[in-house]
Amino acid sequence: MNLILEKQALPGLLQGWREQYDVFLPQKLERFSHFLPLTPDSVLVTDEPHNTRIPPKALFLPMTETLVKFTRFGGYQDAQQNIHPRIIFAIRPCDAQAVQLLDTSFIQESYTDPLWLEKREKTITVGLGCHEPCHNGFCTTVGYGPFNKVGLDALLTDLGEVFLVETLTEKGYSLFLGLREAQQQMTEVAQRVQQQAYDKMPVAFETEGLKAKLEQNFNSSYWQEVSQSCLGCGVCTFLCPTCFCFDIADETQRRERVRNWDTCMFRTYSLEASGHNPRPSKVERTRQRLSHKFVYWLDQINQIGCTGCGRCVRYCPVGLDIRAMLRQAQTLPFEVNHAL
Amino acid sequence: MPSNGNSPYVPIPMHVLHAYYESTDHSLKTLELSFDHAEDSRAFFDAFNPGQFCLLSVAGMGESALGVASAAWEGDFVRFTAQKMGSVTSALHSLKAGDAIGMRGPLGNGFPLEDWKGKSLVIIGGGCAFSTLYALTKHVHHPTNRDDYGKLTLVYGTRTSGLCMYKHDIAAWHENEDMEIHQAIDVPEENWLHHVGYVPDVVRQVAPSPDNAVAVVCGPPIMTKFTLPVLVELGFAPEDIFTSLEKRMKCGIGKCGRCNLGPKYICKDGPVFSLAELNALPADL
Repeated sequence: MNLILEKQALPGLLQGWREQYDVFLPQKLERFSHFLPLTPDSVLVTDEPHNTRIPPKALFLPMTETLVKFTRFGGYQDAQQNIHPRIIFAIRPCDAQAVQLLDTSFIQESYTDPLWLEKREKTITVGLGCHEPCHNGFCTTVGYGPFNKVGLDALLTDLGEVFLVETLTEKGYSLFLGLREAQQQMTEVAQRVQQQAYDKMPVAFETEGLKAKLEQNFNSSYWQEVSQSCLGCGVCTFLCPTCFCFDIADETQRRERVRNWDTCMFRTYSLEASGHNPRPSKVERTRQRLSHKFVYWLDQINQIGCTGCGRCVRYCPVGLDIRAMLRQAQTLPFEVNHAL
Repeated sequence: MPSNGNSPYVPIPMHVLHAYYESTDHSLKTLELSFDHAEDSRAFFDAFNPGQFCLLSVAGMGESALGVASAAWEGDFVRFTAQKMGSVTSALHSLKAGDAIGMRGPLGNGFPLEDWKGKSLVIIGGGCAFSTLYALTKHVHHPTNRDDYGKLTLVYGTRTSGLCMYKHDIAAWHENEDMEIHQAIDVPEENWLHHVGYVPDVVRQVAPSPDNAVAVVCGPPIMTKFTLPVLVELGFAPEDIFTSLEKRMKCGIGKCGRCNLGPKYICKDGPVFSLAELNALPADL
């Protein structure tokens, strides 16, 4: 259902939600915007030319999270998390899409991650579409878009004085009870805004045939070339909304076993006890990062594991650009080199 | 996998039943663990298949992935052999009978025993990676299962005779009419009556028949790498050659991302793969 939300009514609506929910929305923290809990003085920041620095995946998979508690006599206890029902407001479509991608890894028939599942079930996501393209973003290139609805319970389109609210689920609808329904004309205006935003997004690289190019050039010197200036800092994966790798470590003083974000860009990530490392240099590690997103996700669920948010481009300290890397990959020859 | 409560990250409580050194240089130690709770034992053995592994947990130290080295019929315990390498395995080596320990598992797919029924088995192991092959041999060798399989050929190589594991059983197996056993060490030793040489060479020399047979290879990466082509040379089809892989692991349930081989996770989709499957995956080992 399409509803109209007056912008001046927004602060009241947000504060009203606080009675029943923890509300997270983008706010200014130092030089960047972050998803922070709403307080009576919170100021919503959505006018930056790009997304929050840390993706909202952190609200589902925190940078550090307790998995297990050690009991006094050498036993183990489930870590109880205390999740209050919550709303993530003004999540961008690329980041909501990323959460859906991560669902396919954390919620599976064989094993479901109980910590992820509980947070997902207790969260309502209200998306804010991007009517202006952000710097470095390339969502349409990877098959998603500035008004992509996947992973959202409701989607807002900025129409100047008002937002058009598209409620996509029951949960999403429940947040906007009492708003007036949008007239057909407003819906058409919103559709035009959405289409214009879509058209303004540049095509960053060609995805057709990209998977095969990357697969078949597994042993190519291409990987050497594109990883040459990489510092191995891992920020591309740390800030990536679809990167989910974690390490498990024991915090002895807290008597807890925790998981922490980890990255395939670090040497110790794959280093084995024998000293053998399947990915001994940044060449293999870069290959893993790109292949995971543009080959392995496709093998697993037939979706590209990159939502085009542009963070890895924006924050790389040496200016490595995944778009340029993939454009270069498309110029590679097809070659068959599956060595035993 | 039995889980303590709902979380697959919480180990089930176990106790050390027996702890003893497996090798003369004390680098390998075997732990036999018993379950604190009968329901955990039931859940474990309902799910268990030779070739699977567990994560052994020492609170405050971490977890280590180890292959199960016992067959279900042996009794209400689970056996592991740990090589002393880092902090967790050092902690495992310091455990003695009666000590508490945590365990998660059984994890992974294990050997496709149903598919192998009616076939001869060629079991090829090297070093401490022989543990799951030991579990496999004990399973197949048991009177209730033995008739399901054809000829049993075992090739087991270690660097020295002192590093050979499970010596009592292997010595007894030599007496068996229905098993062909080839033991090897890398360099000559006095009084050694078996092969001297590397496993791939021994396999080539022994030349097991590929007729209605499957071969299983578990060993250090270098041994596996050179043994697989020998089996292909001998006429084994890639679909009939199996190996068990290892990579660094953390979660054991396909969530933490660490042990991927292309789109597969060794912990969840493996650790047992056929050569045909491996040939379709990137060489990222």
